[in-house]
Amino acid sequence: MRPLIRAVVLGLVGYVAGAWLTVAVRGGSPSDDVAVVFGFILGLIGWLMGIGVWNAWAREWFGLPAKPDQATGWKRYLTFNTDHKVIGIQYLVTFIAVLLLGGAMALVMRIELARPGQDFLTLDAYNKLMSMHGILMIATAVAGVLGALGNYLVPLMIGARDMAFPRVNALSFWLIPPVAIGLLSAPLLGSFDTGWTAYPPLSVVNQGGQVLFILAVTTFGLSSILGGLNIVTTVATMRAPGMTWGRLPIFVWGAFCASILSLLVTQFFAASLILILLDRVAGTTFFGAAAGGDPLLYQHMFWFYSHPAVYIMVIPAFGVMLEIITHLARKPLFAYKAVVGGFWGIVGLSTIVWAHHMFTSGMAEQLHAPFMALTEAISIPTGLVFLGALGTLWQGKLQSKTPLWLAFGWLFNFAIGGITGIYLADVATDIHLQDTYFVVAHFHYTIVGGTIFALIAGSYFWFPKITGRMYNERLGKIFAVWLTVGFNLVFIPLFWLGVNGLNRRVADYPEFYAGPNAFASVAAYILGAGFLLYAGNLLWSARRGPAAGPNPWNARTLEWQLPSPPPEHNFPLLPEVVGHPYDYGIPGSAHVAPAAAEGGEE
Amino acid sequence: MNESGGYKQDAIRVGLLWLGLVVVLEAVWFATEILPRQYAEEAKIIDDAFNLLTILGIPVFSFVVAMLIYSAFRFRSRNDASEDGPPIKTSKPVVVTWLVVTSALALAILINPGFVGLAELRANPEADLVLEVEGQRWQWVVTYPNGAEVRDELVLPVDTRIRFDVTSVDVLHSFWVPGFRTKIDAVPGLVTSVYVTPTELGTFTDDVNLRLQCAELCGIGHARMVMPVRVVEKAEFESWMAEQLTAEAPAAEGRG
Repeated sequence: MRPLIRAVVLGLVGYVAGAWLTVAVRGGSPSDDVAVVFGFILGLIGWLMGIGVWNAWAREWFGLPAKPDQATGWKRYLTFNTDHKVIGIQYLVTFIAVLLLGGAMALVMRIELARPGQDFLTLDAYNKLMSMHGILMIATAVAGVLGALGNYLVPLMIGARDMAFPRVNALSFWLIPPVAIGLLSAPLLGSFDTGWTAYPPLSVVNQGGQVLFILAVTTFGLSSILGGLNIVTTVATMRAPGMTWGRLPIFVWGAFCASILSLLVTQFFAASLILILLDRVAGTTFFGAAAGGDPLLYQHMFWFYSHPAVYIMVIPAFGVMLEIITHLARKPLFAYKAVVGGFWGIVGLSTIVWAHHMFTSGMAEQLHAPFMALTEAISIPTGLVFLGALGTLWQGKLQSKTPLWLAFGWLFNFAIGGITGIYLADVATDIHLQDTYFVVAHFHYTIVGGTIFALIAGSYFWFPKITGRMYNERLGKIFAVWLTVGFNLVFIPLFWLGVNGLNRRVADYPEFYAGPNAFASVAAYILGAGFLLYAGNLLWSARRGPAAGPNPWNARTLEWQLPSPPPEHNFPLLPEVVGHPYDYGIPGSAHVAPAAAEGGEE
Repeated sequence: MNESGGYKQDAIRVGLLWLGLVVVLEAVWFATEILPRQYAEEAKIIDDAFNLLTILGIPVFSFVVAMLIYSAFRFRSRNDASEDGPPIKTSKPVVVTWLVVTSALALAILINPGFVGLAELRANPEADLVLEVEGQRWQWVVTYPNGAEVRDELVLPVDTRIRFDVTSVDVLHSFWVPGFRTKIDAVPGLVTSVYVTPTELGTFTDDVNLRLQCAELCGIGHARMVMPVRVVEKAEFESWMAEQLTAEAPAAEGRG
């Protein structure tokens, strides 16, 4: 606990010092935008030094010996620990907590939306709650699968003892709590009411909570970039002997492709937010039309990150689901090379489709046709992912387990998410549907139905590896059905609402839209209640579940050849990879040479 | 029965299931009225695009669902993780066919409704009536050709090609009348345009989709940044517009 207390104290001291120094130099109040900026920066440095960057790392810069934290057991999770498995679990627990928090906010929104009229939240409070829900869930989708499962699994799956830069990895995680603190304390400064998109000019003229949003999200971006750098380097340089690119498990490909994207585009979001910050605190007018600025510039920069971002969220999710499907269908991953080609096709196209978010923005009309064409083209590589999934299920020996049940729900949801995406890529239909509940339904189908389903399915599938114990299968299946049915009951009516003229981001709506809204609200409470079953099953099983053994799925990838949970530094003897990871049913095939499978040899 | 014979039988069965789903879902689509009432020519273009995408999307969706239903029942294993499926690693004909079909579909929808819809929406740059629309937090101000400034109701003549020149004085807003389907953002420092040709008479009190709704988050009053729309006969429109001019002066004073 000591490092955490030290981090909180130094963080607070840093914040107060930064804010106070600003006030001392320029006057004004400590709640002014500028004072918040310097407070946050010094507070962030104080937090990081306190948690362990100083002891484990920065001391070396001054010629002192580093003193890494020696905590063991559960206390490791509260320290600057560099074990990738500890960091993976830190991400997993953090983002499942954020997911539940963001979900609870959605339930509060659904109380207001249950019937027309403004009766529970003020219009302003609704906008702010909706904005907070949005950014928390975006963060969960960006870092949930990639940060948690990526950190935990990538080194295990490629036969490495840790990530390439273990201390950078710990830094990536410990940048996250200040992001959460920054966002959740924004209400102290009037919060932010611009959604997660933070379009100017509104985000330049609204209350000071927007500054905390900018600082927190920029910090989160730094964490994403460092995390991406780590995964790219680890996969490129630390594969075990024999682990050729053609033998990489599909989740590793997913994490690698997403990390390349995150390394390439995240800075554009940070840059666009910093321009807003400069407009607010430094008197620039990047987005102020009256002084020659251009509000549309922001949208171009923002979507240049934020469209690829949905693929940063979803490509690792593809990887998770294809792992689950191939292991639990007990068949080789169908058309492995085509699926990997599909991932790369998505990576390439994802950076040149952004302006389909802007067909009604007033941007130059000659941009409409090319961005429509490029966006619709991305359905082709995405289709290859479906080919891999459906082709693997075909003729398989399907093991009726919770993760596979969730994979079925995922394919159903993502089919709806993908097809409704075409309506938003087509200029004509998008002109009507843009900024309506149709968009809300569509992206929840892709991000919840796609990414969050993968996070949940992955948390079941690798639960025995992470905890050494088995979850309760029957409760897991009940939850899988509950989640899939509940999710669809909430979001199907929203398509109708959008088509029939209800715009998004509103606390109040005409009487005409009452029926489907009431239905969606009730369904949302049912869906929300289901998460008690999820949390209850996993929490109880982590302590009391039956011992799972090293390989309960009889799966072939490397992580299953180690004890559950795997020891520190994973492989006492580096494994030798001799074949493809998914050669189920091929007589005499093996992924890894027998020696390493036994482990323990020096 | 040999293995490939079994595969063929599975393929036929899943094909029939697919066909059945397509027939049912297409029938449901044609039998139900999902789209709201059209009040403008542009709504027809956009709804045609919506219809075509749905008609083409149903077979794609049904294929996934048919494969899932069939796999769940037919390929479920009774044994626990001891038995492997057939080692089918890939199939070149299947991959190539898949790529050809998905590419052809993508190309088809890109041409129609994609490019066709765009061309139809942009076919006519002429306008019989130009109205200036200014978004401000949180109301719309519409200026008619005779100089009348209107804030409480957007009255439009039927069968007239109207161009709205839209801008904003503060933050982003978006001009959207769901009954017309068209939408364009109101951007400070920029004049954006949208064309509407109303084809049906109607008022907001009869149809909630005859409302000018702000569709871009603009702060506290965003949800209620609404202006009722009324489509009237041309003659009625002319006299109404003239009335606005005479009514305006005292109204402006009253507002102080």
